[in-house]
Amino acid sequence: MTNGIFGKGRLVFLDGGMGTQLQERGLKPGETPELWNLSRPDDIRAVHSAYLAAGADIVYANTFGANAAKYHADAPLADVVSAGVALAREAVHAAGGKRFVALDVGPTGRLLKPAGDFEFDAAYDAFAEEVRLGAEAGADLVVIETMGDAYELKAAVLAAKENSSLPVLATVALGEDGKLLTGADVECVAAILEGLHVDALGLNCGFGPDKMLPFVKRLAAATSLPIAVKPNAGLPKVEGGKTIFTVGPDEFAADVIELVKAGASIVGGCCGTTPAHVRKVVESLGEWVTGNGERGMGERGNSSFTHSRTVVCSGSRVVEISTDDTIIIGERINPTGKKKLKAALSEGDVAYVLREAVSQAEAGAHVLDVNVGVPGLDEPTLLDSTIQAVQSVTALPLQIDTSDPKALERALRHYNGKALVNSVNGKEESMSAVLPLVAKYGGAVVALTLDENGIPPTAEGRLAIAKRILARGAEYGLKPSDFVVDVLCLAVSADANSANVILEALRRVRDELGCCTCLGVSNISFGLPARPLLNASFYAMALGAGLSAGIVNPLSADMMTAYRAYRALIGKDRTCGEWIDSFKDWTGDSRQPLAASRQSSGDGRPSDTDSPDSLSAAIRHGLKADAAAAARQELAQGVAPIDIIDAEIVPALEIVGRGFESGSVFLPQLLMAAEAAGAAFDVVRAALPQRDGASVRGPIVVATVKGDIHDIGKNICRALLENYGFKVIDLGRDVPPERIVETARREKARLIGLSALMTTTVCFMEETVKLVHENLPDCKVTVGGAVLTADYAAKIGADHYSKDAMGLVRYAETMFPAKMV
Amino acid sequence: MTIDEREICRYLRLQGRAPGAALEERIKAMREAALKAIRPARVWRRFDDPFVAGGADSKTLKRHLAECHAAYLVCTTIGAEFDTLQRRTAATSPADAFVLQAIGAAAIEEWTDETEREIRRELKEGETLVSRYSPGYGDWPLEAQRRLFELLDAPRKVGVSLTDSLLMVPSKSVSAIIGVKTEVSQ
Repeated sequence: MTNGIFGKGRLVFLDGGMGTQLQERGLKPGETPELWNLSRPDDIRAVHSAYLAAGADIVYANTFGANAAKYHADAPLADVVSAGVALAREAVHAAGGKRFVALDVGPTGRLLKPAGDFEFDAAYDAFAEEVRLGAEAGADLVVIETMGDAYELKAAVLAAKENSSLPVLATVALGEDGKLLTGADVECVAAILEGLHVDALGLNCGFGPDKMLPFVKRLAAATSLPIAVKPNAGLPKVEGGKTIFTVGPDEFAADVIELVKAGASIVGGCCGTTPAHVRKVVESLGEWVTGNGERGMGERGNSSFTHSRTVVCSGSRVVEISTDDTIIIGERINPTGKKKLKAALSEGDVAYVLREAVSQAEAGAHVLDVNVGVPGLDEPTLLDSTIQAVQSVTALPLQIDTSDPKALERALRHYNGKALVNSVNGKEESMSAVLPLVAKYGGAVVALTLDENGIPPTAEGRLAIAKRILARGAEYGLKPSDFVVDVLCLAVSADANSANVILEALRRVRDELGCCTCLGVSNISFGLPARPLLNASFYAMALGAGLSAGIVNPLSADMMTAYRAYRALIGKDRTCGEWIDSFKDWTGDSRQPLAASRQSSGDGRPSDTDSPDSLSAAIRHGLKADAAAAARQELAQGVAPIDIIDAEIVPALEIVGRGFESGSVFLPQLLMAAEAAGAAFDVVRAALPQRDGASVRGPIVVATVKGDIHDIGKNICRALLENYGFKVIDLGRDVPPERIVETARREKARLIGLSALMTTTVCFMEETVKLVHENLPDCKVTVGGAVLTADYAAKIGADHYSKDAMGLVRYAETMFPAKMV
Repeated sequence: MTIDEREICRYLRLQGRAPGAALEERIKAMREAALKAIRPARVWRRFDDPFVAGGADSKTLKRHLAECHAAYLVCTTIGAEFDTLQRRTAATSPADAFVLQAIGAAAIEEWTDETEREIRRELKEGETLVSRYSPGYGDWPLEAQRRLFELLDAPRKVGVSLTDSLLMVPSKSVSAIIGVKTEVSQ
């Protein structure tokens, strides 16, 4: 708090709707309201004055849409903002008393990546400019309002904090289901905004004050910051082509009192509210608070969700880490000891990383660790892009895992939500680099109990380092609940006492520091055989000692069994529902796959009867689980892997492919057959002697061109190519030409497949083709997409036109004539 | 919200053939997942000038709205979470992703039809609607999207935005003009 606008125990009154007031005065649909700051200043000033006369303490300047991303009118943005702030200031002067002018910052009207195409940094720049202009014009505070996307909200708050020293109030617009457009609920919003240190937060627009009540109650439980409410005058109705709001001042004020009782202390109105609404609110609340002896609440305890608890979130999901339950942090996106992931990261094969993310989420992970540390790669850039890509396919919060402070800052800045940071340790260098970043961007941080002298051999020593890190964190304003202590897992093969020390340390961190704990469990078995078995037993012991978060492989049935058993046994899995769900089909093999995914249970049976159990039939019918099972059975019967591939998988796929070309098989069936073949192929390949690099044709680089976000066609091509034995590097969608060329050059790709769906993006396809031909004369480009034809493809200089995915496979076969294995 | 299975099959381009047991199972599973992710929203507004969003110099739009004395601008969407589900599914199963996009296409079509029925209810006596027409059809340039979005305040009202290349996001969204004309009584 810099100037006491939102003092504790004090009610603050905001103004009411601006847009609806201007419409009353003749603002037309589609007209830019901010232009009235220059063309109709008397009207703007009059609206402010009316709200001030009604009792508002704060008026919002008419700058809601005055950011460069949204504002496209002719008058300079700077003039519009400074005039807007000046008009509000004039009205405040005229009204006298201690009143304030807020710079009103609304959304850009653009959807940020990955949901849309707008860059986070571009949104930040637009907000930053508006904030600088508003601060120069003399605004007393910055109000960010009507945000419908947690990610854009973060950009706006960062811009406000970094470009002014003004207090910041941020409010969001919920849908009727209590969520933002991109899925965040109030707990998520509270976690992000507290992490970014706004001065007050709350809700505006969306609906009337009655419907806001349950969400204000939840917000009051989730934050200790002052809560603002600015509801509409009910839900809008359309009558005779005009939008009207039906809740009058009396009803509005009565409902707003309930919001104040629930914890709100900053109150006003949004769309459809008038000076009469604000006046009534001020009058009735004045009366209501006299009962309490002063103009304040006092009813709200300090029931902070994020103050006393360890909370991380993505843009749409909150995960709490606690000392009396446990969560799973998926460890698989970490290239240490993982050859395939290392290769995928080096090649820019995003699809591989995304599969790892989704499969861990489906297996039951709550948070995903993301580590991209591969020697020789540009970690800050790669971590940033990988985190954005992973966040595009999962709502799980992420654990940003890096020892490079530069990479950490960039990732924390662009992360959508409040991240878990892995990690800080007791070394001065680490603490002074990492802790300020966590304090600035919000987040929880893993504290490794090691320092300049290494890892202490005793629990006592590790506890001492944890205490030191916590104390140092306090200097940056971090609380014990902002830390998750990792007491460090050392191999029991190297030190017989290792596990005992870890277990003691886990208990003592919980009991003596009140802190949550985490542990990379599988290190315990390093150097020993049957590692998964030892890991699972140790994991169960660590859970018993109070481990809050295990960094484990969620695809390991042993680990998940230990997790589920623990929660069932300590009464966290009420009625043992999760345990029953996971094991209702249990047959006695404790290491069978758990929680059968939909692919393995819901495929149905073949519709005809040609030896339905055969591998070939399973592939042709698109039965993924059956195909894998059939392949396993044939291996068990002693059929050579290479024969299974040559005599069954390839011919079956070929039958389906020809069926597709002749029109008897349709695209969905072709894709299902390809997936089934892929599942069988994976089984067989695991049985083949290791022959890395020899088993593939290609590589082929595929991408959806710049400007285009439709990737379904490109994904289909990738899937088919892979199942026909090609190595594919998938660069994703909206890919700039330079990146395609650079990747093809680095990976020595001789074929590039480009997809575009819209006429408006074919120009980028043409640009890409040109750039490829200029730079890589030996590289062929094939193109496809809804709006393309063979003629059109020729016209833009492509070497080949793929009319569908099979067309691309056939063309690739001519370029890489080789066997599948 | 209901999503007609026949419509889904149409978008799967099955050309009237039955999907078969395995595909039917997938459609069922994907439809369940889709229904959890779909958050329909819509906005419409009536204007006395049928060419309020421009297009007076578009031959095809002029022909389409020839007899109209007013028009509705409309924008509908099934929401951003469906796109997230689509991306997540695409990461592991292109077949499921393909089925899902067909379900999304059927859903937004159904939702827009339902919105049109809702609009019909507020027509004046003796009025009727002509068919929907969207920027990018015929010679009505896609650039008209910008004006249409401003007039509807679509980003704020329904959370639909335009990309730099004038695509709508969330991707399963529809924007259109629907002309109002006087019903010819027989």
